[in-house]
Amino acid sequence: MSFESANEVPPIIETHALTRDFKKTRAVDSLDLSIRPGELFGLVGPDGAGKTTTLRLLAGLLNITSGSAKVAGYDLARQPEAIKRKIGYMAQQFNLYGELSVLENLSFFADLYDVEVSELRERTERLLAFAGLTEFKDRRAAQLSGGMQKKLALACTLIHQPEILLLDEPTTGVDPISRREFWDILTDLNLAGTTIVVSTPYMDEADRCLRVGLMYEGRMVVCADPQQIRARIEGELIELRPDDWQAACALIESLPGVLEVQTYGNLLHVLVDSADKRLPEIETALRKHGLTYRGVRRVTPRMEEAFISLIRRLEVD
Amino acid sequence: MSFRHLRAVIRKEINHILRDRTTFVLVMLVPTAMLFIMAYALTVDIKHVPIAVLDYDRSPTSRAFIQQVTEGEDLDLYAQVDSLDDIDNLLTRGEIKAALIIAPDFEHDLLSLRGIPLQIIVDGTEPKSGGFAVDHIGGRAEEFISEALASRIRALNVNVSLDSLQPIDLRVRALYNPSLKPRVDIIPGLISMVLGFPALSVALTLAHEREHGTLEQVLVTPVGRAEFLLGKMIPYIIVGLANVIIMPAIARVTFHIPFNGSFPLFFLLSAVFLFAILSMGMLVGVFMPTQPAALALSFLVIFFPGFFMTGIFFPIASMPAEMRMEAMSLPGTHYATITRGVFLPGVGLDVLWPNVLALLGMGIAFTAVAALSFRKKLG
Amino acid sequence: MFKRIWSLAAKEFLHLLHDWWMPSFMLFGGVIELLAVGWATSRPMTNLPLMVLDQDRSAASRAIVTALENTGTFAFEAQAPNMAAVQDALDRSKVNAAVIIPPGFDSKLASPTGRPSLAVLLNGAESTPATAALRAVTGAVREMGQRIALRRLGLDADEFAGFDASLRVWFNEALNEAFYTTPAELGLMLEFTTLLFAALSFSRERELGTLEQLLVMPFSSLEIIIGKSIPTILVAFSDFVLMLGAVHFVFGIPVRGSLILLLALAFGYLLVELSKGLVISVVSRSQHQAFLLVMMVGMTDFMFTGYAAPVESMPRVMQIVANVVPAHHWLTILRGILLKGAGLDVLWPNILALAVLGLVIGTFSLRYVRRALD
Repeated sequence: MSFESANEVPPIIETHALTRDFKKTRAVDSLDLSIRPGELFGLVGPDGAGKTTTLRLLAGLLNITSGSAKVAGYDLARQPEAIKRKIGYMAQQFNLYGELSVLENLSFFADLYDVEVSELRERTERLLAFAGLTEFKDRRAAQLSGGMQKKLALACTLIHQPEILLLDEPTTGVDPISRREFWDILTDLNLAGTTIVVSTPYMDEADRCLRVGLMYEGRMVVCADPQQIRARIEGELIELRPDDWQAACALIESLPGVLEVQTYGNLLHVLVDSADKRLPEIETALRKHGLTYRGVRRVTPRMEEAFISLIRRLEVD
Repeated sequence: MSFRHLRAVIRKEINHILRDRTTFVLVMLVPTAMLFIMAYALTVDIKHVPIAVLDYDRSPTSRAFIQQVTEGEDLDLYAQVDSLDDIDNLLTRGEIKAALIIAPDFEHDLLSLRGIPLQIIVDGTEPKSGGFAVDHIGGRAEEFISEALASRIRALNVNVSLDSLQPIDLRVRALYNPSLKPRVDIIPGLISMVLGFPALSVALTLAHEREHGTLEQVLVTPVGRAEFLLGKMIPYIIVGLANVIIMPAIARVTFHIPFNGSFPLFFLLSAVFLFAILSMGMLVGVFMPTQPAALALSFLVIFFPGFFMTGIFFPIASMPAEMRMEAMSLPGTHYATITRGVFLPGVGLDVLWPNVLALLGMGIAFTAVAALSFRKKLG
Repeated sequence: MFKRIWSLAAKEFLHLLHDWWMPSFMLFGGVIELLAVGWATSRPMTNLPLMVLDQDRSAASRAIVTALENTGTFAFEAQAPNMAAVQDALDRSKVNAAVIIPPGFDSKLASPTGRPSLAVLLNGAESTPATAALRAVTGAVREMGQRIALRRLGLDADEFAGFDASLRVWFNEALNEAFYTTPAELGLMLEFTTLLFAALSFSRERELGTLEQLLVMPFSSLEIIIGKSIPTILVAFSDFVLMLGAVHFVFGIPVRGSLILLLALAFGYLLVELSKGLVISVVSRSQHQAFLLVMMVGMTDFMFTGYAAPVESMPRVMQIVANVVPAHHWLTILRGILLKGAGLDVLWPNILALAVLGLVIGTFSLRYVRRALD
């Protein structure tokens, strides 16, 4: 199902020229955002682009400088308390009570969200099982591993079955296996109908979203689905692993038809106007200069390249 | 106000206090330990105050007078000196607190009833022991004069009784504290000061949640502001009330301070005071972003005023008018009145109701201002 | 090494600028507090509410009341209608003292052998003003009695030099209460500022988890200790100078001794308290704990300073303990230099004691804190 055809469904989150200033900086600048119910929306952008501020604004944690926003049908400036029952918010750093046990943290938030007492037991057990924390339920939260802490935090934000989940870099500092598990949980929730807005520094995670918004210096510069973003990359991509990547990088950048060179450790990603035409040219040039390399191949651009390419272009402007 | 929210916050806060054993022990112990230490300092009776004597008269009468002054444990004769310079030197070094100078015509003047030519020099930087020495020498001088007068009258053989030479029979009675021992009223007063300590802990708890980020997670829940703040205060009221049970017991058993009023009433009014003073702590906590800032401000607005300006040591009536107003707006002032009133005259609500009303009003006002100023926002 | 220490101290100063509440309270709060407390309490006891039950209503009874008013100690609160009103006012602590003049006071006083009684009831529930009231009443009545006694004996009052010893107060000629209270409060304020500031330094970093970060950086533990102490020293010392200026200019507390010596010794004393604060700081696992320990240590010191109770009247054991409390020597030095104009020749025993204590505490602190950090 394509969302373009579902325009009649009113958005669950909608902002108009939403702006937030801090003392010296404008953290969020005239943000227009429209998220439909059931969407899994990814927020990406370099550090300091305004992702955290956007999520905090939507959670009602910060005052709006100007503009307006509606979340779950309520006005963000005037009815923040009504919104709080509809959303679950998870901050970037661990924000639960370390000296309380897993179960105590859960029941604390259950009480604050007025979860029906009759449902409490069943829901707590389900969330513990779902987060894989059943056997750790009496352990103090401070003594859990980073991944388990994140899952506990998610469980606490889910205790009142919110319509909207706002997650700020939920998998930062978590091992790859836990990260995968965490995203499986998010996908399940999303399939069950929860709207999710998640910020992430990982492009593979952004790729799993239905739509991705790229923020830069407080503004939303691109907002589209992952394929569209990937499609915005001009040209084609060549990957190679030179032994002296600095020299190789300098050389390749000077070649005709090369649009951009990105480095990933000792890997080079070269954007060219036409891979068929430029790949042999690059190989020739490298050999001519005595630069050895391994594993040169054509690859399809990923979110990561698209992202870096877009940011580079913004920085040049 | 949701009772469920309140209960959840209280339970969380109690767990927080209990889980960190060292802090828990300290929170419980510090007020009582403070009372104990300060009360002990107050039970020290002044005695053995060192003085010097400069006797220009060197007569049998002057020697008898010196003998009489330094008898007993009150004043110790540190040195008989020959010049004022010696006195200056000894006072500067702090080796004596006062000096007695007997004029050359001491015997003559006294026996002819012309007066008592003696001078006392006292270290003005040590009013406690210095003042004690002055009072003591003055008292002995009076006795000495009475004796001299008596012998003079006997010699004159006139028909005047000795009594009539002290024509006003002054009868002094100190109620509630017959020997006017400072500790009898200052120890109950100090209870108001040390019970203020939990307020400093309360001021820290909000900043603690801010610094550790836990506040952010609470702010996105629908919990009410007053529910949250009261929920954080109530566990500390309980901690304070535990001290309220221990402290009168210590005052009575260890320091022999009478407790003449009703204990249940005292307990109840202590709870009201704790509510007022902890609200003050909460108010500080609401405005201060970090624990050191909260601590510094609560030292300035809760601890020091609670010590110096609540009338425990210095009577409020003698303060300048502006400071009297300030004193009356401190919860400790009203509670000190309550503790003294319940301990000593043993008065009840019929007398104390204005103070109770003031405390209740402060508690409600501080909590309301704290809840209204506490924004459920970051930054 | 100095460069590295400087970079650490610079980092600390940045923190202070960012969290400016704390240092500004430490810097100016002490001064404001000292002024307020000094203003409120450094005055003779006056204005004490007094109640009079005059059952005689005669010239003599009025003379008594006037004499009491002239002492300057009392504020005449009310004429009581009866004894019950007096009792009630005392119960409510509305008055500090009540004078009861019985019927026939005047006539008995006038007869050559008469000896009328005069009752004074004091509110012992506030012993400090009650004691002041007692002193004032006794003085006024005795003076009045003396005059009458002389008249009865037929002696000439002019020839009579008085039975009161003349009193001279040294170092505080005007009997200014501020001379006694404010230097002590100044000294204590310096102690609490330094202790609190130092005690929060490491406990705060540990609680917030930034201590590990500091420890993995290429600094030696000594450099870390010095780097973190510099801001404390600077803030506490500036605080002391500000407070000294305030008490000097506002309350007229003189500096009769050497100002340089005083500042040097204040600096030395500050280092001793800093050492104590740093030990508290590494012993505590949270800022809350550090604060509670500061209260314990600070208030215990307070008891031995001689401010609350004279040390020479304490039992022998306590006197010995008092000698190892740095604050005890510090207050003696502070008062000695400010009020008595004492110099090294007089204060050397206290200075020596402070130096020895400082050396012992400082060495222990340095070793203990270094071990805790490594």
